[in-house]
Amino acid sequence: MTVLDEEMYRKLFVEESRENHENIVNNLLILESGEDATAIDEIFRSAHTLKGMSASMGFDELERLCHSMEDVFQLIRNGQSVVTPKLVDLLLGCTDAIEEMLDDIEAGRGLAAGRTEDLVKSLKEYAEGSPDVADAPIAAEVGADTPPTYSVTVALDPECGMKDLRAMLVLQNLEELGTIVSTTPPAERLEEGQFEGSFEVVVESDAGEEALRTAASGPEVTEVVVSLREPQTPAAPQKSPQMPEKSGKRRKIKNIRVDIQRLDQMMNLVEDLVINRGRLEQIAKKYGIKEFDEALSMIGRSVSDLQNLMMSIRMIPLEKIFNRLPRVVRDTAQHDGKEIEFVMEGGDTELDRSVMEGLSDPLLHIIRNAVNHGIEPPEVREARGKPRKGLLRLTARRDKDNVIIEIEDDGGGIDPERLRRSAVEKGILAPEEAKEASKDELINLLFQPGFSTAATITDISGRGVGLDVVRKTIESLKGTIKVESEVGKGTKFELVLPPTVAIIDVMMVHINRRRCAIPISNVVEVALARPDAIHRIGTGEGVLLRDQILPLHRLEDMFGKAPQSDTLVVLQNNGRKCCIVVDFVEGQQEVVVKPLSRLIGSCRGISGVTIPGDGDVVPVLDVNTLV
Amino acid sequence: MGRILIVDDTMFMRTLLKNILFSGGHDIVGEAGDGDEAIAKYQELRPDLVTMDVIMPKVNGIEALKAIKSADPSAKVIMCTAVGQEQMVKLAIKSGARGYIVKPFQAPKVLEEVKNVLSSA
Repeated sequence: MTVLDEEMYRKLFVEESRENHENIVNNLLILESGEDATAIDEIFRSAHTLKGMSASMGFDELERLCHSMEDVFQLIRNGQSVVTPKLVDLLLGCTDAIEEMLDDIEAGRGLAAGRTEDLVKSLKEYAEGSPDVADAPIAAEVGADTPPTYSVTVALDPECGMKDLRAMLVLQNLEELGTIVSTTPPAERLEEGQFEGSFEVVVESDAGEEALRTAASGPEVTEVVVSLREPQTPAAPQKSPQMPEKSGKRRKIKNIRVDIQRLDQMMNLVEDLVINRGRLEQIAKKYGIKEFDEALSMIGRSVSDLQNLMMSIRMIPLEKIFNRLPRVVRDTAQHDGKEIEFVMEGGDTELDRSVMEGLSDPLLHIIRNAVNHGIEPPEVREARGKPRKGLLRLTARRDKDNVIIEIEDDGGGIDPERLRRSAVEKGILAPEEAKEASKDELINLLFQPGFSTAATITDISGRGVGLDVVRKTIESLKGTIKVESEVGKGTKFELVLPPTVAIIDVMMVHINRRRCAIPISNVVEVALARPDAIHRIGTGEGVLLRDQILPLHRLEDMFGKAPQSDTLVVLQNNGRKCCIVVDFVEGQQEVVVKPLSRLIGSCRGISGVTIPGDGDVVPVLDVNTLV
Repeated sequence: MGRILIVDDTMFMRTLLKNILFSGGHDIVGEAGDGDEAIAKYQELRPDLVTMDVIMPKVNGIEALKAIKSADPSAKVIMCTAVGQEQMVKLAIKSGARGYIVKPFQAPKVLEEVKNVLSSA
């Protein structure tokens, strides 16, 4: 193999091995739950594939491990071994080792010899502890009839790896020319490979010596001696049954693999197209040429279609990250001595790859939290009259322009009183603030940095990283997170995420003669306010709108002092509303949001910039930080 | 030299085998990722030889072999096998497989087996 070849093989190898690894882990969990006995077939197939690929790449350590695992899987499949949690632990330990090795292979590191020795030993001990696997006997085939009888003696290459198979092929080839009367040793033993270097076949055939010699020759056959013999007693021939013909459906290649970087490049080009389409539209407006407008509207349609198509290509099903979660739940639950039924729904809901990447860690965190702190130990649950097994549900669904992910447990819930005490102890709230805080406000404290109510920090949930980081991550994906909880009944986290981040609908407004874009998903309404509806409340201002008092912001620190205006835009985020004052509303537009350059760093109040058609650079308001 | 259809559920193995067969001057007319696809591709392409993996999702190699053989009794199919799969391959040979190659593939052995089966009647 050339270096280039090796690189290509390795990429393919790692990619497909990871798929198989994941398949083994997930089906092991299904197997353990006892829900589906066919899971073992899937596991077996994947382990086998992994083994074959590893052998081909010369990754002996990996191959040996897979081989030993396969032996155990075989025992399970034959019903000679029972699936116990201990066995599943061992096998999951093996899958972890496989994953580590794949990481090393991907990074171009070698695999140290002997790293899987302990696991292989444990697997062997396990396999030997089970009753012996007797190979299913395969019926022998003997045939007969009248033509001349020949003795064909065949010697095989001592290097021949599978002499049983080679012998069978020779027998089969000879049988095509005539009828096999007998073999020495008998066919059963030939098929089991129980013979030394050579064997004799007695065959009745009209084909002649030369044809028989050719039929018996082949790879790994070193010598063939054919001689005429006297006929012997015949036996009835036996044919193997044949499957009926399957309908010959035509199949074309349906999928191709594309490097994700190329997709990103393509996405950038589409974004440029969107921007320049806007520019062309402005020019067209200026000159008003009819033919030009027509052509432009055609291009506009194509660009929209292309953009939508690009978006959908970048979408991947949530399964990609959901799939690792059952394992996390199992390990965490086992560590904590909890019993949990984990239900996942809506794994086929799709999200943009970039959103998906950011979502993985927060989701993991919330799930672990639910197991660590949400669901009570089985004894406590029983004492509270609940089933021993806690229920943890993860659901995802598409709702209009958003993807909603819910993580719901039926555990102890979050006690607002405890939060109240804790907030005061930690100096997050003053005692009088704490007294007045509503339940929702208290629960929202969970998202404050350094706020944790759990009495003990378990080593699985990890310390330091809290829900504040989770919220920050979700918000950086332009999503929101919400908690609902009821003491004794459980807790529900709701994540609302845009399926994609790059292209959004915005409302263009002018504030103090400067343009500014507001994501349409944050806009509730545009309202006119009479001056007498605006009141000073403490240091800020509020406006009475539809029987609701909303905080009013003039954004003077961002845009400078604006002339008087009575146009308000009502914004909402996470169910909380506020108003901003604008000069006027320009309209609604689809734009590409570019993140701020790292040189500028994060800039409070601004989530990015966009370039509408006229080439102007317009800031996009970050509503999260306003409300 | 023959027109060959490669059947294996991993692109990795197919690529490996393709390169070996190509180096032997053979023409790879198609690839299939499972048994169903193999049966369809066989009908469509009528290759001189098929290399058939044993363990595959949906329809496995043995069933695919049987279906191909019953549609075309003269079909030449070589099984791709590994240590531990002898029983399955025995079944395959009884169902009409003409040869076998062992993973990890060794190019000279693969080419010899293919040549032998192609030249047989």
